[in-house]
Amino acid sequence: MDVLSGPVAGVFRAPDVDYHAFAPELVLVAVLVAVLVVDLVLEGRGRRLVGGLAGIGLLAAMVPVLTLAVDGANRSMVGGAYVVDDFALVFKGLFLIAGYVTMLLSSDYLADDDYYEGEYYFLLLSSVLGMMVMASSRDLISIFVALELLSIPAYMLAGWRKRDLKGNEATLKYYLLGVFATGVMLYGMSLIFGITGETVLTEIGSKLQGPGASLPLVSLGIVFVIVGFAFKISAVPFHSWAPDTYEGAPTPITAFLSVASKAGGFVALMQLVFIGFLGRDDVWQPMFWVLAALTMTVGNLIALRQTNIVRMLAYSSVAQAGYMLLPFAVAGDLAKGPGAAMGPMTTYLLIYAAMNLGAFALVLAVARKTRSGEIASYGGLFEYAPGLTVLMSIFVFALAGIPPLGGWYGKLVVFKTLLDANTPWAIVLGVIAAVNSVIALYYYASVAREMWMRPVPDGDTTPVRVPAGLTAALSLCAVATVVIGVYPQVVARFGDLAVFSLLP
Amino acid sequence: MVAQNIAFGVLAAATSLAAIRVVTTRNVVHAALYLVVVLASVGALYILLTAEFVAAVQILVYVGAIVVLLLFGVMLTKATLGEDDQLDNDQRWLGAVIALFLLGTLSFVLVDAFGDDKLPSLEGVSRATLEAQRGSGAVGDAIFSTFLVPFEVVSVLLLAALVGAIVLARRD
Amino acid sequence: MGDPLQGGDPIFIGGIDFGVVALVVLKVLIGFTFVMVGVIFMIWFERKLIADMQNRIGPNRAGKWGLLQTLADGIKLIFKEDLMPNKADRLVFRLAPYLTVAPAFLTFTIVPIGGLFGTGENGTIEVFGYRTFVQVADPPIGVLFLLAMSSVAVYGVMLAGWSSGSKYPLLGSVRASAQMVSYEAALGLSVVAVVLLTGSLSTHDIVSAQSGGFADWNIWRTGVVPFLVFCIAATAELNRPPFDLVEAEQELVGGFHTEYSSMRFGMFYLAEFMNTITMSAIIVTLFLGGPDGPSLFGPDIIWPTIWFMGKLFIFLFTFVWLRATLPRFRYDQLMDLGWKRLIPLSLAWLLVIGAIRIADDEGWNVALVIGISLASCVVGALALVGASRAGRIRRRAEEALR
Repeated sequence: MDVLSGPVAGVFRAPDVDYHAFAPELVLVAVLVAVLVVDLVLEGRGRRLVGGLAGIGLLAAMVPVLTLAVDGANRSMVGGAYVVDDFALVFKGLFLIAGYVTMLLSSDYLADDDYYEGEYYFLLLSSVLGMMVMASSRDLISIFVALELLSIPAYMLAGWRKRDLKGNEATLKYYLLGVFATGVMLYGMSLIFGITGETVLTEIGSKLQGPGASLPLVSLGIVFVIVGFAFKISAVPFHSWAPDTYEGAPTPITAFLSVASKAGGFVALMQLVFIGFLGRDDVWQPMFWVLAALTMTVGNLIALRQTNIVRMLAYSSVAQAGYMLLPFAVAGDLAKGPGAAMGPMTTYLLIYAAMNLGAFALVLAVARKTRSGEIASYGGLFEYAPGLTVLMSIFVFALAGIPPLGGWYGKLVVFKTLLDANTPWAIVLGVIAAVNSVIALYYYASVAREMWMRPVPDGDTTPVRVPAGLTAALSLCAVATVVIGVYPQVVARFGDLAVFSLLP
Repeated sequence: MVAQNIAFGVLAAATSLAAIRVVTTRNVVHAALYLVVVLASVGALYILLTAEFVAAVQILVYVGAIVVLLLFGVMLTKATLGEDDQLDNDQRWLGAVIALFLLGTLSFVLVDAFGDDKLPSLEGVSRATLEAQRGSGAVGDAIFSTFLVPFEVVSVLLLAALVGAIVLARRD
Repeated sequence: MGDPLQGGDPIFIGGIDFGVVALVVLKVLIGFTFVMVGVIFMIWFERKLIADMQNRIGPNRAGKWGLLQTLADGIKLIFKEDLMPNKADRLVFRLAPYLTVAPAFLTFTIVPIGGLFGTGENGTIEVFGYRTFVQVADPPIGVLFLLAMSSVAVYGVMLAGWSSGSKYPLLGSVRASAQMVSYEAALGLSVVAVVLLTGSLSTHDIVSAQSGGFADWNIWRTGVVPFLVFCIAATAELNRPPFDLVEAEQELVGGFHTEYSSMRFGMFYLAEFMNTITMSAIIVTLFLGGPDGPSLFGPDIIWPTIWFMGKLFIFLFTFVWLRATLPRFRYDQLMDLGWKRLIPLSLAWLLVIGAIRIADDEGWNVALVIGISLASCVVGALALVGASRAGRIRRRAEEALR
C-alpha cells in the first residue's frame, strides 16, 4: 500500500553545515575537550590551568555569539530543526555569562575544600553546552538531548561534596525526580510524534492547527511535556526537589541551577509552546495559569518560614519562576498574538539572572567567614562588612522588585502583559501576583533588617576576606542589577529581540 | 497476518505480566530479570514492526548493557538472596490506583486517536525495498543528516556522564 | 529478487508455505547437530592436543584414540546427583545454564557454512525445489545480532555466580561479567571496520563481498589490525586462556560454576565449547571470507563447506594452542589491555579506515588524508600515554599520603 512512497534512502547526501552558526558550540566543545585533556595529562601546578582555560573558553565562545548577532541573519539548519536567530543568541549570551559567573564563584570554593577541579569545570562546561544547544533546538529530539546534556552534568555537580550527607541527598533527589520528569516528558513527546509524525516544531505547529489537533491524545501529550519542564523550572507542585538540592549542592552550583538551568527550562518551554503547541492554547493556557498561581503563592509562603538563607533563596527562586510563568498564562489572549508574551519573559529572565547570581555570590562570600547558612548569622553584617551589606541589600531589594533596582522593571513588563490580555482570568492572576509581591517583600526585607539592625551573633567582627574571583562576580552582578534598574532600555532591547521570527 | 497477530498477543501478554512482576516481586535480582523479559519482548515487538535495527539496539543496549550494569550494581553492593521486605512499600495501593488511572487514561486516548488505524500491509514488498526505506542504512542516513546535531551532542553527553560517574564512584 | 546484495534469503520470496517452514526447521536441526557434534569432537580434540603438547597421552580408553571420551563423560554427568546448594536462589540457579547455552547456539545461526559465493548462485543451494542460503537465518542486522547475543551471554555467567549463594562463584561471576562487558567494546569496534567496508550488517552480504578470492578477504581489506583485535577480544569474551580469570582454580576454586554439578554443570561445559566453535566461525565469516575458496575436484557444492571447516579448524587449533602455551593474565593487566590498548587501537584504526573511505568517495588526496589521520592517531596516543603517566604519578602520591 503506502509503504513504497516516501523517501528512498539512496545515495547519502551529507547536510550542509553552516560553521559560523555552530561556532559558539564548536568553540565550547573544543574547550571542554581541552580542559579534560589538560587535566588528565598535566601534573601538579599545571592542573591549576584548567580553571583559567575553562573561563577563557566561555568568553571565547561569546565571540562568535557576538559576530552572529552583528551579522543578524536568521540561520535555519537541518530542515528547521536547529535555528540560530536573535532569540537563540540572546539566551546563548545569557548562558555563557551565567556559566562564567559560576566559574568565578567556583574557583576559590573548589580550591579551599580540595574538590576535583578539572572534572568540575568539564561538567560545568558540558552543562552550558547543553543550554546553548537548547537555545537553538527547534525539534523534539534536539530539545530532549539538550535537556539531558544540561541536566546530567548538573545532577553530578549537585553531589560534588561526596562526603557530605546533605550533598548526597541533594543529588539523589534531584536525579531521581529529574529522570522521572524526563520520562514523563519523553512520553508526551512520543504521543505528539505519534499523532503528527514530525519532530520539527514548526511542522508540529502547523499539524496541530489542522484537523485532528483537538484529540485528547494531543492534549495529554502537551500536558506531559509541560509537566516535564515544570520540574526543570521548579514550578509548584514539581518543586519539592529544589530546596533540598539547593541547600545540599555546592553554593556555586546552586546559583547555576537556580539561574542557568531554570532559564534553560524556560527557553525550551517557550520554543515548545510558542512554536509547536501554538494552536492548542486551550490546553496550556489554563495549565500555566494554575502553575503560575500555585508557584508564586506556595513559593512565597514557604519562603517566609525559612531560617536558612539558601533555602530561603531556593523558595524565592521558586516564587520568581511563578512570575516568569505569568505571560504564558495569558499568551493566547494578547492582542498582538501569543508571541508578545515572549519579550516580557526574556526580560524577566535576564534581570533575574543578574540579581539571583549576585545574591548567591554574596551568600558564598559571607559563608567564607561565618561557615553558616542561617539567616541569623547575617546579624550585624554592616558592622564588619559594610560593602557586602550594601550589595546584599541591592540584590534582595531587587528581587523584591523595589525601584530603582533591576527587579522592578521585570515585574512591570510582566504585569503589563497581564493588563494587555485584559481578561477576567488575567486580572485575577494579576491580583494574586500583586499580593505575592507584598509577601515576598517581607522576607526579603527581613534579611536586610538582620544585616543592618541586629547585633553580631558571636561578636566576631573581623572583616570578611573576599577573593578576587568572587569580587569580580559580585561587582558584575551588582552593576548589572543597578544599571538595568536605572536604565531598563538595555534589557528591554534584548527582550524585544528575543522573539521568534516565524510566529504568525 | 494471523501469525503476526498471534505473535503480537503472546508478546504483549508476556510484556504486561513481566512488567507487573517487576514491581510486585520482592527480590531485586528477580525484578531485574523480569525487566529483561519486558525489554526483550518489546524488542521482539519491534521485529514484528519490521524495525530490526531498533530491535537489535534494544537488546544490545537495554538487555545487554543497562540491566547488566544494574545487576552488577546490585551484586557489588547488596546481593541479598531471597526476599527482601524493604522492597515493599506502604503506599503500594496508592501507587496501584494511580497506575490504573494512568492506564485507563492512556488506553482511552490511544484508542481514541489510533483505534481505527491499520498498519500498511507488507505483502509483496521485497526485502531490498524495506531495507532501503527503514533498514539500518536508512537509520544511519537519518542520523547523519536530519539528526546530526542531536547525534553529536549525545557524544558530549555520554562523555560527561562517564566523567561524572567516575568522579562520584571513585573512592578517595 | 531485487539487488542480489540486499535480497535476503530467497526462500521467503513468494510467500511462506508448509515446505518453507519445514525447511527452516530442518536447517535449525542441522545447525544444532553440527554444533553439538562439533562440541563433542572439540572437547576430545582439546584434551588430546593439550596432552600431546604436554607430553601426555590424554584420553585413550573410550573408543579408538579415546574418541568417545566426551560421550562417556556426558553419560556420566547425566547420572550424577544434581546438587542444589542450600542458600541458592532456585529459580535463577536452574535458569542460568540455559541462558549460557542459548546465546551460544543462536549466534551460530547467522554463520553461512556453505554455498558458492561469487557466482550466480550467490551462496544459495537448491533443496526440495526451494532456493535457500546455507545458514539458518540471515537477519539484515546480522552483526548487531552477533553483538547483542554476546552481550546477552553475560547473563548466564553472572546469574550462575550470584544464585549459587556462595562467595567464590560470586567473585568469579563478577570478574567474568566485568571482563565480558569490557571486551565487548573492543569487539564491536573491530567489527565496525568490516561493516564499514561491506556497507551491510548481514553476514551473508559480508561473505558475499569477500567472494573475489584470497585478496578480497576482510582480513587484508581492513588491514589486519581489526582482525587481531577481534581475535584477542573474542578470546576474552570466551573466557578462554590466557583470559580465563573467571575460573582461576587457585583463587576461585572453580569460578562461577563451582556449585554446579551433574548436567547443569555439563551445560556450562557444553556452552563453553559451543562458544569457542561459534566465535571461530564468526571470525572466519567476518575476516576470512567464510566458505570462500577454490573448488578443486569433484562436485563444486561440497567445497565451500570444506573450506569453511578447514578455516574453522585453524582457529579451534589456535585456541587450544593458546591455552597450552600462555600463562594467565593478572586482573589489572587484563583491564589495561582491554581499555587502554585494544579500544584506543581499534578506534584509531577505524578513524583511518573511515578517512580513507571518505577520501576515496570525495576524490581527495589519499596519501595526505592517511598522513593526517595517522598524525592525529599519534597525538591521541601521546595524550593517552601522558594521561597514564600522570595517573600513575597521582596514584603514587595518593598511596604515599595513606
